[in-house]
Amino acid sequence: MKFQTTDPASNPSAIFYKRCTLDLASGEMTFADLPCRNLEDVLGGFGRSFQDLAKRKVKNAYSDQNPLIVNTGLLTGSSAMTALRTYFSGYSPIKGSKAGLPAAMWSTGSGKFGAKFKWTGLDELLFENRSEQPVYVVIKETEAGPEVELKPAGHLLGLSTHAKIMTLQKEYNNAHFAVIGRAGENWQNNYMGAVALSTENQLKSQEDKFRFAGRGGMGSLMGYKNILALVAQSSDKVGNVSEAVKKVNLNVIKGGGSARIQPLSRGGGGGTWAAYDVLQTFHAVPVNNFRPQGNDIPEKLFRENVEREYDIKSESCYRCGITCHNNISAKNADGSKGEFLAKFDYEPLNLLSTNIGIHDAGQAARLIQLGDNYGMDAISLGVTIAYALSYNQRHPQTPILNGATFGDYEKIHELVIQAGEGQLPEIGKGSMRLSASLGETSYAYHVKGLEIAAYQPETNPGYAWAIAGGHMSMGTYGLLTREGKSDLDSWVRGITEDKLHIVGFDMIGLCKFFDITKGIGTQMVVDCLQSEFNLQVSTEDLRAAVERAFLRGLALELRQGYTKAEFCLPAEVAESPNHNIRLPDISSADFFAKLAKRVWAIFDAKLEGLPDNQ
Amino acid sequence: MDINVKLVGLFQTGRFKQSHRDYPSTTNVQDVIDDLDLPQQHFGIVLINGVHADVDTLLSEGDHLVLMPVIDGG
Ligand code: SF4
Repeated sequence: MKFQTTDPASNPSAIFYKRCTLDLASGEMTFADLPCRNLEDVLGGFGRSFQDLAKRKVKNAYSDQNPLIVNTGLLTGSSAMTALRTYFSGYSPIKGSKAGLPAAMWSTGSGKFGAKFKWTGLDELLFENRSEQPVYVVIKETEAGPEVELKPAGHLLGLSTHAKIMTLQKEYNNAHFAVIGRAGENWQNNYMGAVALSTENQLKSQEDKFRFAGRGGMGSLMGYKNILALVAQSSDKVGNVSEAVKKVNLNVIKGGGSARIQPLSRGGGGGTWAAYDVLQTFHAVPVNNFRPQGNDIPEKLFRENVEREYDIKSESCYRCGITCHNNISAKNADGSKGEFLAKFDYEPLNLLSTNIGIHDAGQAARLIQLGDNYGMDAISLGVTIAYALSYNQRHPQTPILNGATFGDYEKIHELVIQAGEGQLPEIGKGSMRLSASLGETSYAYHVKGLEIAAYQPETNPGYAWAIAGGHMSMGTYGLLTREGKSDLDSWVRGITEDKLHIVGFDMIGLCKFFDITKGIGTQMVVDCLQSEFNLQVSTEDLRAAVERAFLRGLALELRQGYTKAEFCLPAEVAESPNHNIRLPDISSADFFAKLAKRVWAIFDAKLEGLPDNQ
Repeated sequence: MDINVKLVGLFQTGRFKQSHRDYPSTTNVQDVIDDLDLPQQHFGIVLINGVHADVDTLLSEGDHLVLMPVIDGG
């Protein structure tokens, strides 16, 4: 980026980002230094891409009108801790309104691809149209500035995400990779394709330890465009870390914000996996398609029970001291570490184990690994399979697919493979379409067409207003469990004021664990921006920019045909209350109706006041 | 007074899962946290008899106290 001002809030047009627009049909590419329209543009990520998506009228995700926008955040590639994020934005094949229109979506992941991309000198790569032949795209740093090249990708076709990365690593030094798997290649029948992002650890160990931009089918959109991989090749550009950023980084590690995500061995909480123990206290760990049974079955996947049989190692992305990855390997007979299996994060673990009736850590790890290597979003995959298993439980005489039921590992394994291979559109197209085709939608656990995260909807009515998936774009998932809030005022304030700020991390290039409770409107971020770019910006400016970006997302949902009635929870939540969940009951239709009325009154007024700068 | 204390997750390490403990009558939740030397930076959720409570809540004879670390998604 180029900075000709120190005041990004009042003079954003004096800051320029470098975009390459690549027409995949013709191969033509144009580079431009574009002035920022507002602070959201400066911050980047979805804050910028959604303004461009809003200019398009897209009726079908798989169409020439739908671009794929790959960009970074302002701090991506900087010396701030966790500054590794890449964002993939476009109209989603999986998330869509009942009017049949696709929703705008972004997905993001860490790994080192984003930093390498940034270090090439490019800030954004916008893909138009689609390529006739499978291609991969090389973005590289040269003395004359970033160069982008299209290359034939026949040799990558059909490879797993990991194998694609390993193949490309042999061809490109000093590079990192963003690839799709077979799920994305089979985009016609699989709308939940993810983008896998390589990590330093993966390239060194040759083990399948990647990060994912999983949500919303951005890997399927990439597959539709016939792009199998992106290669970002550049030298590493983290120079000396300033005293100010050192202080911030230390605060991220020691200040308590990320403590619970850090390794147990360092006095941390052991990563997101630890949510199992806490949620189980309330019997709120999703079991068998989000129907906790009030028993101790989820405890089988508590860390203390898994570590008896498996080796668990805390590892991290490039230069990140948070070290949030819990990598699970088999244990050899002599107790030493054996084959690497998978990474246990709370969401993929729960949704590909307890929530589908699997309580064996080894089986769970195999399913996660399989989904990762096919390049499928673990959340959409797990929740859609859970729906199918639930259907079969309710219809034992007339089951669907291979007749799999909860806990039937072999058959579930088969479903994952078939979905990844594009042979099972029933699973690959997600739970909204499957449940509609079967005429039983009440127990399909999606909101607005996107499968929900591993938090019981009974505990999180905020899902309804999440613009890109619950827990990622609406931080209300702990408002009842963590904070004990069950009154309307707290929920209205949570949704409309505090918890939407989680999306700030989907603009600026940092992980949420940088400061998950406070968002990006903090002195820590102000200090980083001052130190890295000499930008003067206030916490209020940052918060205002995040709110505007969120509201644009909401406005875009409404423009894509969502009615307010579609901002709702799965019907089963209110129709069949689950009394096993030991928390105050905020799952009634009455509570939700009152909440919706008040939330919309606030959001409607804010939407009217949104600057028309799209 | 007798307080039935349950610890969750990492708080159990080097301590216990559940234990009946004897405290003076003016004990609040923070006193128990201090007594058990629970790491403050992980401190998250307090339940007294199944209901969310604050650390300055006074305890009563026979209370069932659950102390949990914070949760975060991902
Ligand atoms: S917090 Fe976790 S995912 Fe984020 S950069 Fe650090 S190790 Fe990677």
